[in-house]
Amino acid sequence: MITLTHFLVVSACIFCIGLYAVLSKRNAIMILVGIELMINAAVLNLVAFGRYDKVNYGGQVFALFAIVLAAAAVAVGLAIILNVYRKYKTINPDNITDLRD
Amino acid sequence: MRDLLTISPVSMSILVVLLPLLAFVIQAILGKKSTSGMISLIAIAASTLISGGFVFTAVWDNPTISTTYNWFTIGDKTFTIGILLNNLSVLMQFIVCIIALPVHIYSRSYMKGDPGIHRYWMYLSLFCFAMLGLTISKNLFMMYIFWELVGFASYLLIGFWFTKEAAVQANKKAFLVNRIGDLGFLIGIAIIFSTFGTLDLVDLFGTDGFFAQGIDKNTTWMTVAGIAFFLGAMAKSAQFPLHVWLPDAMEGPTSVSSLIHAATMVAAGVFLLSSIFPLFNETVLLIIAIIGTITALSSAFFALGQYDIKKILAFSTISQLGYMMVGVGIGAWDAAMFHLTTHAFFKCLLFLCAGAVIHEMAHLKAHENQEFDPQDLRNMGGLRRYMPKTFTLMAIASLALAGFPLTSGYLSKDAIVITAWEWALHHGGLYLIIPVLLVVVSILTAFYIGRLIFKAFFGEFRLKDLNVTHLHEAPHAMLIPMLLLGIGALFFIFSWNPLSYADAGILQGLSVAYPFAEIHALHVIIPIILTCGSLIAWWIGWRWYSKGSYPLNPHSRWIQASLNQGYLNELYHKTFVESTLALAQISYWFDRYVIDGLVNFSATAVRSLSTFSSWIDRYIVDGFVNTVAGTTYYIGHLLRWIQNGRLQNYLGFAFTVVLIGIIYLIIR
Repeated sequence: MITLTHFLVVSACIFCIGLYAVLSKRNAIMILVGIELMINAAVLNLVAFGRYDKVNYGGQVFALFAIVLAAAAVAVGLAIILNVYRKYKTINPDNITDLRD
Repeated sequence: MRDLLTISPVSMSILVVLLPLLAFVIQAILGKKSTSGMISLIAIAASTLISGGFVFTAVWDNPTISTTYNWFTIGDKTFTIGILLNNLSVLMQFIVCIIALPVHIYSRSYMKGDPGIHRYWMYLSLFCFAMLGLTISKNLFMMYIFWELVGFASYLLIGFWFTKEAAVQANKKAFLVNRIGDLGFLIGIAIIFSTFGTLDLVDLFGTDGFFAQGIDKNTTWMTVAGIAFFLGAMAKSAQFPLHVWLPDAMEGPTSVSSLIHAATMVAAGVFLLSSIFPLFNETVLLIIAIIGTITALSSAFFALGQYDIKKILAFSTISQLGYMMVGVGIGAWDAAMFHLTTHAFFKCLLFLCAGAVIHEMAHLKAHENQEFDPQDLRNMGGLRRYMPKTFTLMAIASLALAGFPLTSGYLSKDAIVITAWEWALHHGGLYLIIPVLLVVVSILTAFYIGRLIFKAFFGEFRLKDLNVTHLHEAPHAMLIPMLLLGIGALFFIFSWNPLSYADAGILQGLSVAYPFAEIHALHVIIPIILTCGSLIAWWIGWRWYSKGSYPLNPHSRWIQASLNQGYLNELYHKTFVESTLALAQISYWFDRYVIDGLVNFSATAVRSLSTFSSWIDRYIVDGFVNTVAGTTYYIGHLLRWIQNGRLQNYLGFAFTVVLIGIIYLIIR
């Protein structure tokens, strides 16, 4: 039988994969993908914990809300990446160090 | 002050003194433009006329005239200046004038063309002023001022040719040796002032003075004072052992030597002793007589071996000054003054003749373009054929120097020698050595002056390869003053009786009462002995120097000692000069290593202290601050690389921190 723990483990694995992608990828698109993975891990957690709210289905509703937000965030992120590429002719975050100023 | 404006002996005597001063000032202002010497000549001629016409004739054999003016007051002691006109002072003033006048005339020719002649006339006038002022000073302090001034003028004139090293050394020597005497004079003045509270000659030695009232002269202080004054006179009058400066002083022009270093300034010591004669007690007088005898004998001996014509005359001067000192020492200061007077004439004449000879020899040297010393007797010989008038005059002066009858020197020298015999016979015993030595010196005098005459004027001219036709008589401007002095070297100026000094006007005018009996036999015997001795000396000299049969080895010890002035200069050099130099070296060392060492040591100490505090400042105070700053910097440096602008790193850190927080929460 599939218990809550299985969901949480899968969710943690996805989160870790996402985190790894965010921290180590040399491509901004892949970082964005990593972020999506982490959001989805969170969404999975929301859905998994949603079973304890059988009245309002708060978990599922909130998951939907988060997915929408994630979509919007991806749109914004892609726009940023596009602008970064225009300015620096690269989307490797290692080469973009202007943030330290 | 009104009495100064009327024609009185006092005002006239002041005028006599001031005229040369005026000449000095005018020539000092004119500087190099005044080369003729007319100003000096006119001044001294006027001084001579006034001194002879208004002062000497008015005061001689008349009561003493004196005037005193207050000068300044210290506490309740008033210092005065004043004019003292008595027989002694007007005689001295007149002698100075009458010697200075021919010398001035002579100098116009002798010094012609010298590049420094403007200085010459200036200095000569300064000297005349000082010397004339010295003669009529009423006050010992005033006399001391003039005494220093004559010394200074003498210094200037000895070093007149200051480009010559010898002249510079000579005037330095004269100045230094005279300082010793001046110190004595000053000490004497100090003792007199502290004892009597006055320096006025009339108050001290006049007819109503302290000494006439019969104070006790035999105290230690009076002896010291007497010796101190005598020390002053010793240096000025070139008495043994302070005579060393006078032979060297011959580096000055010959006319200067004749005036200053033969006739007047060197006699100032005798004049001083005569002025303050009542001061001396028996002890001091004996010392004076002994020193005078030693001087007379030693310098007569030194004169025997000299080759420089002027040095012979210089030693002769010292020797004659020794006679005068003996005269003072035996109490016959009138005889001393008489000898001073006659000596002034004939010694001045001797110098002027020597100057004429040197002048002609120097001309010959310049004309023939040869190198030889124009003053060296060994280069002369046979000059009487070329300069007969000079020869005649010099022979007269030499006869006077040797004390030959019919000359003035005969009278004055006999006065001293005979009085010395009477004095010695009165005292008896060892005192007799002094007159015996005086007789010996007199014969030596005849010999050395005869040697000079024979070597210079007789025989053949020794520089064979020179054209002697250029040798000729000195110009008239030089001969006339020599002739005037030549007349003064004869007896009739001083006494109508050529064979006895008793009738001499000067002795009668000064009239000193001797405390010992007159012995008539001596007045006959002594002149005969002296004259015969002189004649024998001349005969020997004639044989040796004129005929060329010289029997002595010129390298013998005695002749070398005489030529080298008894090695006194070397002795002084070894003792005084070198010890002074050694002292200077020691003081230099002391200054260098002890005083400078102390300074350097404290400097080093301060330096090391400051180095130490600098170290503290740098390594402890600054070190602390730097450590704090460095630590901060290091921490900043440690954290700086975090802020590298890479988004992923930021995220990584954020995650790490969150992770650490979670781990902390878990294991808490």
